[in-house]
Amino acid sequence: MTLIECNALTKKYGNFTALSNLDLQIESGHIIGLLGPNGSGKTTLLKLITGLLQPSSGTISINGEPVGAASKSLISYLPDHTYLDRNMRVRDAMDFFEDFYQNFDSMRAYEMLAQLAINPNHKLKTLSKGTQEKVQLILVMSRRANLYILDEPIAGVDPAARDFILNTILSNYDENASILISTHLISDIENILDEVIFIQNGNLHTHASVDDLRQKEHKSIDTIFREVFKC
Amino acid sequence: MLRKLLKHEWKSVNKVLLPVNLCIILITIVGCTVLNTDIFDTEESWPIALFLLIFYVLSLMTFASITLIYIYVRFYKNLFTAEGYLMHTLPVTPIQLFHSKLIVGFSWSAFNCLLTLFSTAALGFSAIVAVAKEENIDHISRFFLDDPIVNNRNQTFSFSEMFGYPPATFLILILLLLLTGCLVSIIMGYLSILLGQLMEKHKLAASIGFFIVIYFFMQMVTSIAILLPNSNALVNAMDNDTSVYFMNIFYRNLFPASIISQIILSAAFYFASCLLVRRKVNLD
Repeated sequence: MTLIECNALTKKYGNFTALSNLDLQIESGHIIGLLGPNGSGKTTLLKLITGLLQPSSGTISINGEPVGAASKSLISYLPDHTYLDRNMRVRDAMDFFEDFYQNFDSMRAYEMLAQLAINPNHKLKTLSKGTQEKVQLILVMSRRANLYILDEPIAGVDPAARDFILNTILSNYDENASILISTHLISDIENILDEVIFIQNGNLHTHASVDDLRQKEHKSIDTIFREVFKC
Repeated sequence: MLRKLLKHEWKSVNKVLLPVNLCIILITIVGCTVLNTDIFDTEESWPIALFLLIFYVLSLMTFASITLIYIYVRFYKNLFTAEGYLMHTLPVTPIQLFHSKLIVGFSWSAFNCLLTLFSTAALGFSAIVAVAKEENIDHISRFFLDDPIVNNRNQTFSFSEMFGYPPATFLILILLLLLTGCLVSIIMGYLSILLGQLMEKHKLAASIGFFIVIYFFMQMVTSIAILLPNSNALVNAMDNDTSVYFMNIFYRNLFPASIISQIILSAAFYFASCLLVRRKVNLD
């Protein structure tokens, strides 16, 4: 079943074209790596899908519906920075998600907090940046969403935290759901990906199955990426 | 969903605005208590009394400014900075987000205005009681009951003759004026921020610029709305020798014109804001 469909999707910032005429279809039940160098348009694409940006032209549909309040209830989005009010306690953030998302599993979220020894009564601003990111990931992955959009979930955290994050992603998502992960750290996530999308200068370069690409090129995705985007 | 948005908006805003507004109650209690002592009975203590009065007025102005500025900052920060990534990905409509901010912002602004009015009235009443120890308190209370009194220029007039309305109507009109004033201020701030978002760059600076432009436009419209229809009445009143008669004309015309112009401006700003909110967000 098609989860995301982009037709001739274009986004311009003034004279700069961040995404150009992008046609893309993403099916349910896959983990997809959205890969590309800095400024290639990855974050722009994710923000268009989540409704944080409006396309200059073209269309996007989520489960056949245009982006709106209904599509937002299907998507669980982790941006590349902290988006919670830092004066909130961790418990307040849990209550917030529980109130707004019917598919939020608070028991699971509290279990994950306990595993990481994060005190729910602590204010977010008293936690380290890495711990704040973990809290945010726990919130996002504790939803039973149809689509998880994770923008650079492992950037800026130590290798041990990366393992936790990847483990959290893998052990918490529903198999019928899809995960779209944007990252530069390909070698760390390569093994969990079903598909990859390469974006270059706002254009779709490659959209293929990871296994097919590896078999065809006889190289790892990381190596292919380095060759495609060689400076 | 609007109810849930309101619940969380209240919770966040209360953390800041509750202590600020409790300070008004605190300084009012302290002020009333001090006025009911005899520490200002000597002439030597008058400079201190003057200093405390200035401090009180400045405090009220500061608390009112903090309340209003915080409501604007909250709207901007929560919807158009990093926090906007959460708010705009909630399964709610943009208009629900706007209404939640408007309802909570207006409620707090109105509460702050009413509290300021109450504080001023309470201190004024305490001062009257303190002064009336030496003079005739009946004289003052009769005035507020709309009975005619005689001033030191031997003019006889009642509250209605001086202010154009009986005391209860006057109070209701003041409250209406305050509430419409709060409403127009809040929507004007929100509209300026939404207009600033239309710019490609320097959105915050553009919002401040729009605020200044809209503020001057609003002042101009309100001044015209008040003065133009009443210019003849006011000129006639100024020609008349009695200041009491001038005040009567002034207040009788000022209140309805101000309230109506503020309601019309609020409605215009509200519809403009709704149009901009529906335009959908672009969080760069």
